[in-house]
Amino acid sequence: MLYRTAGQFKTSYRADQALFPVRQDAILLGIILVCAWVIFPLTASEFTFQTILIPVLIYSLAALGLNILTGYAGQLSLGTGAFMGVGAYACFKLVTIFPELNPILAILMSGVFSAAIGVVFGIPSLRIKGFYLAIATLAAQFFLVWLFEKWAWLYNYNTSGAIQVPNLDIFGLTVAGPLAASVTEYYIVLGIVTLLTLLCINLTRGNLGRMWKATRDMDIAAELIGINLLRVKLLAFAVSSYIVGVAGALFVFMWRGAAEPNLFDIPLSFQILFIAIIGGLGSILGNYLGAILIVGLPVVLNSVPELIGLEIKSATLEHINIMIVGALIIFFLIIEPHGLARLWGLIREKLLVWPFPH
Amino acid sequence: MDLLSNIFVTPFTDMVGAPDFFLQVVWEGLVSGVLYALIALGFVLIFRSSRIFNFAQGIMVVFAALTLVGLHEMGAPAWVAVALTLVVMFALAWTVERVVLRPLVGQPDIILFMATIGITLFLIGFGETIFGGENKQMITEELGIPTGDFVLEPFGGLLILQHIDVTAVAVAGLLVVSLLLFLNYTRMGRAVRALGDDHQAALSVGISLQTIWVLVWFIAGIIALVTGIAWGSRAGVSFALEIIAYKALPVLLIGGLESITGAIVGGLMIGVLEKLFEVYWGQPLMGGNTETWFAFVLALIVLMIRPQGLFGERIIERV
Amino acid sequence: MKHLTGLALAGALAMGGAAAMAESIYTPNLSYRTGPFASTGIPLMDGQADYMTLLNERDGGIGGVEIDFEECETGYSTEKGVECYERTKAKAVVTQPWSTGITLQVLPKTNTDQIPILAPGYGFSPMANGKVFQWAFNMPASYWDGAHMILQAIAEGDMANLADKKIAFLHLDHPYGKEPLPLLEKMAEAHGFELLPIPVGLSQMQNQSAQWLQIRRERPDFVVMWGWGAMNAGAIQEAVKTRYPMDQFIGVWWASQDADLALVGEDGTGYRAISWSKPMPDAPIMAELKEHVFDKGLSTAENVNGVFYQRGLVMSMMLAEGIRTAQEMHNTDAITPAQLRDGLSNIDLTEERLEELGMAGMVAPFSTSCANHTGHAGGWMLEWDGEKFVQASELLQADRAVIGPLEKEAALKYAADNAPWPMNDTCEAES
Repeated sequence: MLYRTAGQFKTSYRADQALFPVRQDAILLGIILVCAWVIFPLTASEFTFQTILIPVLIYSLAALGLNILTGYAGQLSLGTGAFMGVGAYACFKLVTIFPELNPILAILMSGVFSAAIGVVFGIPSLRIKGFYLAIATLAAQFFLVWLFEKWAWLYNYNTSGAIQVPNLDIFGLTVAGPLAASVTEYYIVLGIVTLLTLLCINLTRGNLGRMWKATRDMDIAAELIGINLLRVKLLAFAVSSYIVGVAGALFVFMWRGAAEPNLFDIPLSFQILFIAIIGGLGSILGNYLGAILIVGLPVVLNSVPELIGLEIKSATLEHINIMIVGALIIFFLIIEPHGLARLWGLIREKLLVWPFPH
Repeated sequence: MDLLSNIFVTPFTDMVGAPDFFLQVVWEGLVSGVLYALIALGFVLIFRSSRIFNFAQGIMVVFAALTLVGLHEMGAPAWVAVALTLVVMFALAWTVERVVLRPLVGQPDIILFMATIGITLFLIGFGETIFGGENKQMITEELGIPTGDFVLEPFGGLLILQHIDVTAVAVAGLLVVSLLLFLNYTRMGRAVRALGDDHQAALSVGISLQTIWVLVWFIAGIIALVTGIAWGSRAGVSFALEIIAYKALPVLLIGGLESITGAIVGGLMIGVLEKLFEVYWGQPLMGGNTETWFAFVLALIVLMIRPQGLFGERIIERV
Repeated sequence: MKHLTGLALAGALAMGGAAAMAESIYTPNLSYRTGPFASTGIPLMDGQADYMTLLNERDGGIGGVEIDFEECETGYSTEKGVECYERTKAKAVVTQPWSTGITLQVLPKTNTDQIPILAPGYGFSPMANGKVFQWAFNMPASYWDGAHMILQAIAEGDMANLADKKIAFLHLDHPYGKEPLPLLEKMAEAHGFELLPIPVGLSQMQNQSAQWLQIRRERPDFVVMWGWGAMNAGAIQEAVKTRYPMDQFIGVWWASQDADLALVGEDGTGYRAISWSKPMPDAPIMAELKEHVFDKGLSTAENVNGVFYQRGLVMSMMLAEGIRTAQEMHNTDAITPAQLRDGLSNIDLTEERLEELGMAGMVAPFSTSCANHTGHAGGWMLEWDGEKFVQASELLQADRAVIGPLEKEAALKYAADNAPWPMNDTCEAES
């Protein structure tokens, strides 16, 4: 009923291939955007900003980057955390070497560095496939984290080995660092995430996206129909690492405020991978759904016992949390291996034909 | 020039200059190598029979050890605790097959891989909820494992071999031999291999997929328990061990995902080489801690030359 | 007891900005009873919690107000820690961040949130400088103090003895482990000993054979250990295995847990660790705890005579003294975070006061001031005698003339890096 398409006629191929062939999709998206841009910032508390809104956006962006590589181009990577680290450290060096640089520009530029590193570690993908590649990306993961630890230049020879975000201004407004307001940080993150998402939607629908999908589905076949695998795979690594790098810079500059090398260690990579897979590989929407679930779940679980008046020791609660997250991953994989995005897709299909399913 | 000599000359003169120390380094590497190989063995068994990349193998090691120690703390005598742990591992294998694998049969590899990561998290949470998160001591003495050390003096130097390590190596060898005997000379073992070679053909001659999966996961559980005991008596039992379990992954790459020989050779090779690299190159030249990545980079280099690993089956692709 | 930290309410309070005071004082602890570091955490947290339980049970809290000592589990993860901080800050009068990583993240926020950080014996050494770090406290001794006291013990009283010695510094490769390096480097330069830093990665804590092979090859005269959690047990076992002389092996206070040494028992005899607290199984406080806490089944602690449990007691005692001082200064029961800051900067733990508390000898007397947020109580060497830790030295005092200027320099650098950084100009830090 809500999703009836009757009366929406398409009179040209152009209209048929538009971003939103169904008008209701556009309306729904409009509502979500209004929520994200106007309603949440007006109503959210400091706690909600810091533990839900900002992390959900940043994690979705990182998952989006991974999804380009794994979901669209079919190259499984377990090194996402380290590439986020490259972005974060690059951004830190940029703002400390050029203090005059606009912080937003610095964040967008830091992705370039992680893209370059991503391409270097993407070269083996030309010869190595599947799980072999996945584990090969672990080489990037462990080597880069080790480098963050050992290369003192990266953290300006700070004794603690950690990087600390200084207070950064744009036209007198503090946008990063301890003095920045959560709302400001939120808007910057939201702006960058919206921009990159739009870019990705169009990229994956276009020529390049189709070449990625062909490579994913069978790379030899793709090569035979004239796709240059070298170019396509390395481009996937570059684009993916760029987005992941920007997400890493946002992660440290707009949310955490400080970072030590082991922050970018393997648990972070896995967390991003969970988001991408539970959300749905090869889907843009899925990254957001996955991030909401993975980031929101522990926060909600932590609050449940107190809301229902149950006294559980916080350590036990944490153990149970880990258990529940593990169980939920299995549960979601069993009910819908293609992720939450497919689940939504199915619901939408049902709604489109409702109430007459034939 | 100095740098070149530090890379290419000094390490080797050091090795020759203190041969007893060199032997000690190799021995230490060998012992960790055995443990890597054991974890990798569990992976290979499961991968061969079901094409599942079982990420949870490393955690099963900790889980088995933790169950053993936890049950002992609750009052079970050591050997009863071992028996009970085996029961728990069997229950785990059965549950995994029933709850996780059966509904996911036929899904893409990556989905099954993710499911084993789910199992990993679940086991961590479950183990800590029941037995607590603190570091525990392995019940080495109660199990009758000798704890002294042999002191040898090769080349007039000093070489210390821990009884625990020697036992671990011996038991690992025994385990591998019995596993090979089992796979080659028993009905069940052959069924496992048949499944690994061709699912369809194996099913058509009446081999039960479910039974074999439970069996294979149970064997992986037994291997995990042995590994857990060996490793736990070196370093205590806690989920901090999980980080070391990642080391089994490059072992798999170097050895090849399907090869038992590969797992063993790869494990020993990585164990020894990473230790030598760390002691003779990593510590003097690179600030140490190279063990975190050396195995992975080595695996990457090997793969660039042989994409299926040293002992893996040739990958033949058809369009 | 109302645990009003439900999501919605915490949010609502955060919106209001001001901390609402209930009938209790909320002092959350960002604990870590899970993860690789749990073995260090559990006895400490037990001690902290039990002391507050004792105050509630025996005296009905402090100044008649109950203490709500709640734990928020972090698993030593910085991310979880920051979430806990955000979750609790609306109501809390203090934050106890525990890991150096969490401390570093929370530190800049406290200026805007106006909540004191209490990091007893950990955190960031320059926090001693109260002029720069208005909201941070790390009494009774900082890591730099600890490192200096260890060097004194090695030198056996005369720092000239350090010349030409080779000292290996086995540390966790983490902000915490690197914390004392600047001081050690400076001392190496000043006294002519060779410093050999040996990092232990997080993934190597339980498999340190490479590090100990290096120690065997380099043959240092002393090994100084800056370990945490599972790293300590791993190092001590390796030391026994490679036959490193135990009397040349000295740890920081977080490497003095009975359980770690119990793993090697007799073989660990002679191992020493610097400590600003000392276990006193016969102290009057233990009898009180037995009466009011243990016998009522209110404690989960196992080894209550261990170094760590008793250190936990001392930690909570310092917080309690801060609260009591604040109540007296401001003549109010329900204190605000800002009032607690005043309390914590005016702690005066004299010999007599410790006697009154039934804790004489468990920590050296010290006092804090607006400028001095550490107190620099000094510490003792504890030695493992095969079964337990015993006191093995007189009270050592770090040389403030060496550390003070370093602290000031580092604190000012921190402030400059984080400009604009508010200073408390009402007090002048010692230098």
